[in-house]
Amino acid sequence: MSQVPVRLRGLAKSYGLKPVLRSVELEIAPGGCVVIVGDNGCGKSTLLRTIAGLSRPSGGEALLFGEEAWRLAGPMRQRVGVLSHQSFLYPNLTARENLEFYGRLYGVPKVGAAAGRWLERMGLAAVSRARVGTFSRGMEQRLALARAMLAAPEVLVLDEPFSALDGEGTTLAVALIKEAVAQRTAVAMSTHGRPPLSGFEFKTLRLVAGVLKPAALDEAGREAVTGARTGLAGSVDGGTVGGFAQRPEA
Amino acid sequence: MAGLSAVLLKDLKLELRSGQSTIALVALSLLILVVLVFALGNEGVRGPEGAAGALWVALVFAGTVGATKALLAEGENGCLRGLVISPVDRATLFAAKMMAAAIFMAIAEIAAVALMVLFFNLEFDARLARIVPILALGIVGFAALATLLAAVSGRTRAADLLMPILAVPMFVPALIAGVKASAGVLAGRPLSGLQAWLGILVAFDIIFVVSGYLLFEQVARED
Repeated sequence: MSQVPVRLRGLAKSYGLKPVLRSVELEIAPGGCVVIVGDNGCGKSTLLRTIAGLSRPSGGEALLFGEEAWRLAGPMRQRVGVLSHQSFLYPNLTARENLEFYGRLYGVPKVGAAAGRWLERMGLAAVSRARVGTFSRGMEQRLALARAMLAAPEVLVLDEPFSALDGEGTTLAVALIKEAVAQRTAVAMSTHGRPPLSGFEFKTLRLVAGVLKPAALDEAGREAVTGARTGLAGSVDGGTVGGFAQRPEA
Repeated sequence: MAGLSAVLLKDLKLELRSGQSTIALVALSLLILVVLVFALGNEGVRGPEGAAGALWVALVFAGTVGATKALLAEGENGCLRGLVISPVDRATLFAAKMMAAAIFMAIAEIAAVALMVLFFNLEFDARLARIVPILALGIVGFAALATLLAAVSGRTRAADLLMPILAVPMFVPALIAGVKASAGVLAGRPLSGLQAWLGILVAFDIIFVVSGYLLFEQVARED
């Protein structure tokens, strides 16, 4: 596919008169991974929602595969996996029923077998017949990750994917993201602090006052190097980053 | 079609599991009919027109509750967002949610018709068969209108309040036509003699279904 999976051009988003995003520029090529960090309320979730097509930009463009994300046609949406703050899971359906339902929506072949494999992979096989309403937040997050990745998307938008996960869950999530990147999935994700990623190249950007800036974080998640450039964040292609601090290993 | 059947079957499964909408609708219909029977009092008022009025009041209130519940259930864990960004197009989502609301309303209406016959001293005869298409038209139209308006009002904090404020006035012309046609049928008139009222019902069904089909995408998306 020649189209860049994720491209933001002069993206702006305001709620009323309050600007949240200002002229954000970003490209993520197949196999690229961008981690967006920032303080609470800085607009990370708004940015990811806009990339996912859940929110319409106030200005500029958020493009997925060259089309505006907020009005992406149905079949194209099959190529996008989204993990939000909300799990999108039905509390009164079981873990298996939830995965099978979303599998049908996304046209996953042999959906029963696929759901079974994902439940096994996420360590939820033993509770596959339990209703999601009885799950802990961490279990729900594992299932939500499986839901987002079920259809092997070409673009993954992950808002705080490590939220509520224990050590084992975090290791599992990192492995899944690493696998996705290896399969040339473009990944855009957010974390509060230093992302627990390792073993592959990714780019960290800090969202400050609605603008993406390059960021390298120390072990505590603080900014070690402050990028001076604003607005343009360059492009990411399988970890080949032009002009910005990058960390091959976290 | 796969998306429509997946969403519809999921809604029916959730309803079978919880029974929330159907139980609420049947209970509400029963309550409305009981209140109206006692309010109307003597046998003279409790004729076909009174029975038809009671039936349609039950339909409107039951439909308001049913559609609101069917869509608000999607509010849990942001499930509606999950549907909106899925490959299923929004018009298909509207069709699935409308069909689910119509099925819940139909179940409530079956109970309401049985109670109407008992409370209004009517007979279980051919007149009841003739009222089925009239009620079906009412259910389709109101389910379409209520599903669209539930999506609108669901974005506000006052969803439960806003829904009837919006739905009832918009449905009034169809409601009048439905009451008149139902009263005619219960009084023994043939359907062929009620074509003007049935025409109004069909026209409003088309308006509500087409409006919902076209507007649901705009309504379901975030700003």
